[in-house]
Amino acid sequence: MKRLTIVAALMAIAVAVPLAIGSSHREAPLTAIDPTADDTDVYAFTAKDAPGALTVVANWVPFEDPAGGPNFYRFDERARYYINVDNTGDGKPDVRYRFKFRDRIENPESFLYALPGVSSINDPKLNVKQFYDVERLNYGYSKSASASKKGKKQKRHSRKGKSRKGKSKRKHGRKRVLRSVRTVARNIPVAPNNVGPKTIPNYDAVANEAITALPGGGKVFAGPRDDPFFVDLGMTFDAINFEGRGNLPGNRGGGKDDLAGYGVHSIVLQVPEERVTRDGDEVDSPQDRNAVVGVWASTERPRLSVLASASRRGDDDDDDRRRDSGGDWVQVSRLGNPLVNEVVIPLGQKDRFNRTTPDRDAELYGKYVVKPELAAVMNLLFGVGAPETNRLDIVQAVLQGLPGLNQHTGDPRKAKPVDTIKLNLGTPPANDPQRLGALAGDLAGYPNGRRLTDDVVDIDLRVVAGALADPKVLGSDACQAPAKCPNPIPLGDGVDVNDKPFANSFPYLPKTDSGLDSQIKRSYPLQP
Amino acid sequence: MTLTKPNLIKLLVPLVAFVATLFAIRSLDGSPGREAAAPGVPAAGFDDTRSADRRIASLQAAVARGTDRSAPYAALGDAYLQKARETFDPRFYARAETALREALARDRRDATALTAMGALANARHDFAAGLRFGERARAAAPGVAKPYGVIVDALVELGRYGQAERALQRMVDLKPNLDSYARVSYFRELHGDVAGAVEAMRLAASAGGDARENFAYVQTLLGNLELARGAVPAARDAYRLALSRYPRYAPAEGGLARAEAAAADLSAAIRRLRRLVARPLPEYALALAEAELAEGRRAVAREHLALVDAQHRLELRSGASADAGMAVFEADHGNRERAVALARMVWRAAPSVSAADALGWALTRAGAAAEGLVYAQRALRLGSRDPLFLYHAGIAARDAGRPGLARRHLESALTAGPRFSPYHAPRARAALADLR
Repeated sequence: MKRLTIVAALMAIAVAVPLAIGSSHREAPLTAIDPTADDTDVYAFTAKDAPGALTVVANWVPFEDPAGGPNFYRFDERARYYINVDNTGDGKPDVRYRFKFRDRIENPESFLYALPGVSSINDPKLNVKQFYDVERLNYGYSKSASASKKGKKQKRHSRKGKSRKGKSKRKHGRKRVLRSVRTVARNIPVAPNNVGPKTIPNYDAVANEAITALPGGGKVFAGPRDDPFFVDLGMTFDAINFEGRGNLPGNRGGGKDDLAGYGVHSIVLQVPEERVTRDGDEVDSPQDRNAVVGVWASTERPRLSVLASASRRGDDDDDDRRRDSGGDWVQVSRLGNPLVNEVVIPLGQKDRFNRTTPDRDAELYGKYVVKPELAAVMNLLFGVGAPETNRLDIVQAVLQGLPGLNQHTGDPRKAKPVDTIKLNLGTPPANDPQRLGALAGDLAGYPNGRRLTDDVVDIDLRVVAGALADPKVLGSDACQAPAKCPNPIPLGDGVDVNDKPFANSFPYLPKTDSGLDSQIKRSYPLQP
Repeated sequence: MTLTKPNLIKLLVPLVAFVATLFAIRSLDGSPGREAAAPGVPAAGFDDTRSADRRIASLQAAVARGTDRSAPYAALGDAYLQKARETFDPRFYARAETALREALARDRRDATALTAMGALANARHDFAAGLRFGERARAAAPGVAKPYGVIVDALVELGRYGQAERALQRMVDLKPNLDSYARVSYFRELHGDVAGAVEAMRLAASAGGDARENFAYVQTLLGNLELARGAVPAARDAYRLALSRYPRYAPAEGGLARAEAAAADLSAAIRRLRRLVARPLPEYALALAEAELAEGRRAVAREHLALVDAQHRLELRSGASADAGMAVFEADHGNRERAVALARMVWRAAPSVSAADALGWALTRAGAAAEGLVYAQRALRLGSRDPLFLYHAGIAARDAGRPGLARRHLESALTAGPRFSPYHAPRARAALADLR
């Protein structure tokens, strides 16, 4: 749901200057969004066909128009993409999967994406290819004195910001360390863009060649897919205009899926649960100590010193240096729950939110959750009577996990609020998944993990309206008439399912429309 | 080819078309939203939801219903700025300003509106105002990267490079992306670190932006950097990549023409530039005229120089202030006294290294080479390897009676860019030969 941010940002900043004036000075753009780094959505669930495994779908590059030209959409080969797993509930990553992409152009003389008749993913006719490596990073706490010495040494080399972080990583005198980095798989092909039936006649078969089995179990897929998110954006951004669609309060369908026909770039990862649990063991039951994992995605870009460039330092290839040594990186985007980054975090805090990790969420952003602006807006617009303050119910649903369901700890008072998607790996997949997930009594759905079919817009609207609010917690002031805790008003955007059905097998996401039969109205740049 | 009457008319066609466009836009000012809704008119961007036209249309509808909120007006102003960028038409600035003022009337601390006002001021060459707005935006939204972009742009143009470096380092630490990488690249280029500039611009291009124009823009700048250091094939690849993603993008076409000229294929360059001058962009008319002069086609070149002059005048009349490029043009091809006057104005308003170069060159061409050399040296104070700056400094030194210095500058110019311009490079070479 990060594209809510995107649209908000589009309505915000995209500043530019024509070259006609001032050819003697330059102003680079101030872009509204940063698509190649922008996490749009993260899903974490137990797939029906893969019990005993964690399945994560993470999407980047919003608003891909299949007819927009196949060259345009890709992963950034100079960025690093992550799927993060926190298995202790402290908001720090314990296991990270890192994805590093690189481009390969078969014929540098040609800027064509592909020649007609591409029949396999390695076909030389597919001119522009991307490949990637998957690495697995394990974190833990140092046990011996020598390890903490090593930690100190690392600290000396790091920058200011990092040493502060290093301090906060101490726990009982032990130091948090990166224990290992292992390359899980190398040179995996990314599925090509769905150009059209003349270029890639059997697209499904070619794209499915991108599904790669991982050694030790599990599989991975990266490439363009239909955006699985569904929402009536027009309505949402027109001050949640249910009236405009004539279906207040929005639970009677009739909404328009504004993301129909758009694609994203997805990474779908499925790994045996023992690869991500805190004890490296299988999950025996929903009550097992290791059952809950918190998942989020993030993106990093290289740090740059304004004047000390690689060439000035006499360093021939900065890229390689960074790739090999880990170098200096800045996190530019992260996404966990589909509510937090876009609706809860104010515009002035978003850059910082995207730089920080979940462990500091309560301290830095807790107040925006406890007193959500959206609740006040909804009351103003519809008089739904949503409680506006002291929203510990939202903190619990989104940041702490629901007690007995997807909280990391057995003691609700100790559950740390962190923006991760918390999934209980012991919860069996539902036979009849409800789009309203846990709100509809389907405990295998959001906010216990997030499935592709979960209607998070409706769930979030209802949660903010007070569907989970407890008068005992909120106090009678917050629950005055017409407010009711829990609030029964069935809000929604009228879009209940994705425009394309999801598959029952890996990678679960449908392919994008082809460029030829794109649903999106085509438009072309005005000739300057 | 000799110049005949029909040819002359052909040359004037683009100018007429330009004026007609201006009128068309002006008439639309009275009926907001019409241009977005008119059937058959292509939208500005490829990406439907993101095109400036779509944004403008929906935001106009939003503000037409009346609102106390600043955000829709700020966003509308912003969309007009993107529209200006995509159409190369400065007239969208006036609309941007109206919308942004409405936003600030509702919330004078709206960081989006303040940032956009700063960018608008910078675009109009009012860098002092750009800096003020940028600082206000930063105060309203500390920790956000974008206001730093406005601040950096203003500080660079104001010649306050130390402060600019600190603001830019903060910006790229806050958010490494196309916006900040591209600015790092320019900053390194100004300091003569072309390889470092290429490195940063590659990061910018790889990151990409939200519109095709953003990618094409940085890819074209990458081409310009490669061309400046004499890597013609690499430059050509960069321009072609920009065009593959954003067909007919004028700056990339212009770059290809310069690459062709650098590869000594002047006639190909001229053919390409002829297609480009149909657009109201004086730099291509100038490039065409100089390529024609290099081929010895003086009469036809004169017509294109007249076109550059007319376009400059139109720009000034539309409210833009003079820039260094105009002064350099006057110094090379126009009235040398006017060049000095323009350059002094530019220098007073914003004492950047390009303003210093323009003033130095204008003074040198007007016969005041001693004073010209002072400014030419200021233009090089950051360590620039811009062949044109070095050439200007070389000629200033020669005319000021400093042959040793002149030789060094001219040699540097030709080392940095052996074929930096079909018109100026042979002159640099000839001047150097005379000095040896």
